[in-house]
Order: sequence, then C-alpha cells, then structure tokens
Amino acid sequence: MSHYARLWLTSARYCIMRMMMFRGDFFVWALVELFWMTVNLLMVSVIYQHTDTVAGWTKYEMMLLVGTSLLIQRFLMGFFWSSIFEMGRNIRSGHFDFFVAQPGNVMFTATTRKIDPDSLINSLVALGVVIYSARQLGLQPGWVEVLGYALMVACGVIIHYSMLVLCIAPAFWITSVQGIEGSYFTLSEFSRLPRAAFVGLAKVAFVWVLPVVVVSNTPASTLLHGFDLQLAGWLVAITALWFGLAVFVFHRGLKRYSSASS
Amino acid sequence: MLATLNKYRVTFLVGLQSNLIYRVNFAVRGFFSFFHLIVVFILWSAAYAGSPLIGGFNFAQTFTYFVALLVAQFVIGAFNEDYQISEEIRGGLINQFLLKPVNYFAYRFSIYVAARLVTGLLILVPLIVSLPLIGEYLVLPSEPWRLGIGLPALFLSAIIQFGIAYCFGMLSFWFLEIQGFVILSMALESVLGGQIFPLDLMPEWLFRISQFLPYYYQMYFPVAIFTGRLNDPSAALVGLGIQACWAVAILGLGAVLWRRGLRLHTAVGG
Repeated sequence: MSHYARLWLTSARYCIMRMMMFRGDFFVWALVELFWMTVNLLMVSVIYQHTDTVAGWTKYEMMLLVGTSLLIQRFLMGFFWSSIFEMGRNIRSGHFDFFVAQPGNVMFTATTRKIDPDSLINSLVALGVVIYSARQLGLQPGWVEVLGYALMVACGVIIHYSMLVLCIAPAFWITSVQGIEGSYFTLSEFSRLPRAAFVGLAKVAFVWVLPVVVVSNTPASTLLHGFDLQLAGWLVAITALWFGLAVFVFHRGLKRYSSASS
Repeated sequence: MLATLNKYRVTFLVGLQSNLIYRVNFAVRGFFSFFHLIVVFILWSAAYAGSPLIGGFNFAQTFTYFVALLVAQFVIGAFNEDYQISEEIRGGLINQFLLKPVNYFAYRFSIYVAARLVTGLLILVPLIVSLPLIGEYLVLPSEPWRLGIGLPALFLSAIIQFGIAYCFGMLSFWFLEIQGFVILSMALESVLGGQIFPLDLMPEWLFRISQFLPYYYQMYFPVAIFTGRLNDPSAALVGLGIQACWAVAILGLGAVLWRRGLRLHTAVGG
C-alpha cells in the first residue's frame, strides 16, 4: 500500500514541477475550469430569474447541489481525468505498453499517473460555492454532517472515476474512443439536477440504475436535512459495486490489448 | 476552374471516407447527445412547473429550441477541427501544402463539410427514433421567410464556426498548446452562443450586447429563426447583415494568421 502511495506522490511531485515549468498553461487551464463552473452557476441564476423553485428546490439549495456536483467533478478532473483521457489514446497508439511493462497494478498506474493542479485549485472555488450557499440558507451543520458530507463526496469521486473508466475501456475493443469519452460529461450533467425532478422511467434509469443523480444529491441532502445512515450505507454499497464493475471491465479489456504498430 | 474544384472534390471524398471509419463513434456521440436533451427536458419541465411561460415562451417552444440547437451542432458545429489543424502545424504535416498548389483553408474546409455531412446524417437516426416520444413537444413555426433567411444564416454560421476553429488552429504557429484557449472559447460560446439557455432569457442589456458578438451568430441566430424565438423578419435581415460582416472578418483574420504564421514556421518534421 505504501509502495503505491510513494508511486503516486512521485507522480504528483513530477506534475507539480511540470506545472511550475509551464505556469502560463496552468493559469489558462485554471481560468478555463473557473469559467466552466461560472457557466453552470450562471444557468442556475438565469433560470431562477424566471421561477422561484425547480422541483421544490430554491435558488440557494440548487446552488448547493451544483456546487457539490462541481466539487466532485473538480476532484475527478484533478486526480484522474488526464490519465484516463490519455489512456484511450495510448491504447490506440500502442503507448499503453509503457504501463503494461511497469511492475504493479496496471489500472492504478494508468489512471493515476497525472494530476491537474488547476482543477484541484478550482475545487476550492467549488467548496466556496457550497459554503456560500449553506450560509445563504442559514445552515449550521455539525461535525457528523460535515464528515458525512466528506465521505459522500469521496464516494461520488469513486463512482465518477468508475464511470469514466467504463467510458474509456471500450478502447480495448473498438480501438478509438474519440468522441465517446465525451459521453461521460453528458452523464455527469444529470448530477446537477435535483432528485425530485426525476419521475417514471427517468427516475429508474438515472437515480437507481446509473447513480449519477444520487452522487451529488446525497451529500447535498446531508447538509440540508442532516445525516441519514441508511442513505450513506446505500451510497457506500453502490460505490463498491461500480468500482468493482470498472475493475472487472478494465481487466477484461486488458486481456485483449495487443499493442499497436511497430 | 474545374481542375481546382476537382481537387477539393477529391479532398471531400477522402474526408467522407475517413469520417465514415468513425461512424460508430459519431453515432455513439449522437446517442449520448440525446441524454443532454433528457437533462434539458427534466430541468426545464421542472422550471416550467412553477411558471407556464418563461421569457414569453412555453415549454414546448423552449424544448424545440434545444432540439434544433442539438441538430445544428451536428450539422454545422466545428467539433475538433481546431485541434486537427494544430496537430498538422505542430507535426509539420502542413509542409506538404506549402509545396503543392493546394489552398490549406479550402482543403480543411472540404474535410469539415464531409465530416458534418456524416455527423449531420447520423444525428437524424436518434432524432427519428425518439420522435414518437418527443414529437408532441416540438413546435416549429411555418412562415416562408424563416426558410429564406434561416438557410443563408445557417450557411454563414457554418462559415463562422469553421472560421473560428481555423483561427484557433493557426495559433499553433505561436503557441505549443492551444487546447486551453479552445476550451475557454468553448465556454464563452456555450453561454453567449445560447447552448446553456436561450439568449433571450438573459437580462435585456446583456442580450443586446450579445447580438453584436460573433458567438450569437454561431448557432443561436439561425436556430432562433427556425424555432420562432426571433419573430421579426426585418430584425432577422439586420442580423443576417451583421452575421455576414462577422463571417468576412473571421475569414480575413484566418488569412492574416496563416500568412503571419508561415513567416514563423520552420517546417520541422512532416
């Protein structure tokens, strides 16, 4: 375990050194992320200019939900996105050989090699949105709620990580996932919607089958309505399920990998 | 003249073939884009539950707007043309165009047209399949002037879309990495191009400003004409004039960047 921690720390140190070398890039990307987050908040703002509630959620409750969703996504982008995105291209080009030849778990080295400090910096902004919204709502969560919130955000990151791996893993079968990797972002859009807005088939598909809605709604509800042990237990269980599925599909794909070119 | 046209006809056909190779990818992308429509449907139907009209439009009109926008994205949107051009400059692949009687802009534009023909046709599949489900929420006005102004507006939007992507690609003569600029511009486009919400829902003063920016004419303008969010033919004609000016300005900027960029180009690789 400590071996993998040391590996990750070495990679993280390298990424930070690289960021210091390309400071301009870091600022541009940090600005890009900040702008995209602003776009999401702007949408909430524009909608609430014309209506008071959306599925029973007020403006600041919605901001809290969107802030939580952005926080989870910033962590995902910061810790995993670059590595997983490149994984698809590496499988096609044959550069994935590098990871297969490394001693240790291939999925770990291939999906954690790069971190994006710009996304991690912006996670502070997302956290700021959550705190600001909570203050506007007059919420005063206790330690149990705050720790429960942190645990559920961590579960959310693992579920999103698993979904992203599942979106890229088809590269082992169809060679190029260009265009498909974007499907993850389409799915992640659901996490910015309140659970109460889903009815009928949409509720079955996006609340129960694909956990894209619960990953953000559950932590937001913890801050709004208090810690619910049953809900937390359920979230931990589906986190384990989705992570297990991602590991299974990745390793099935890995067996098909036959390198490329010369 | 015919020989020139023939060159780009062949380029178009090669582009068509290479895009057809990735038809599964485009089809999957098109399929997942309809998930975006589900998000739109759920979010806006929840918003409309508290108010039957938003910005003077009912739910069906707003939903039609988003469906038309999605189709327009697949028919005229620049997907990754900027990135492809950037790769060709960085990798030295443009060197071959400097030695042959091929206009690089026309070459790339031919490939763009071929790619959009493939994606434009592929998006029709999920649209037709989902029509029984969403058909009752689609309302399209039928005044003939909308077609007369909307079609040239759609063509000019394609020019602006491609032109902006081309200009961003040209930045590779100066910068190693352009993706940051591209995605920053995409974020601007998504707001000021009406992809996140219809622009007419913005505060009046911001909507007025947006009408003088190129983003307004990238997608929102033709879609607003076709879906009835823009109902004044004379205002649409004025818009068409501004759009034509932006198209010329962006093409001009692309030509300047190409000429200036070539002065810096050292033709490494290829």
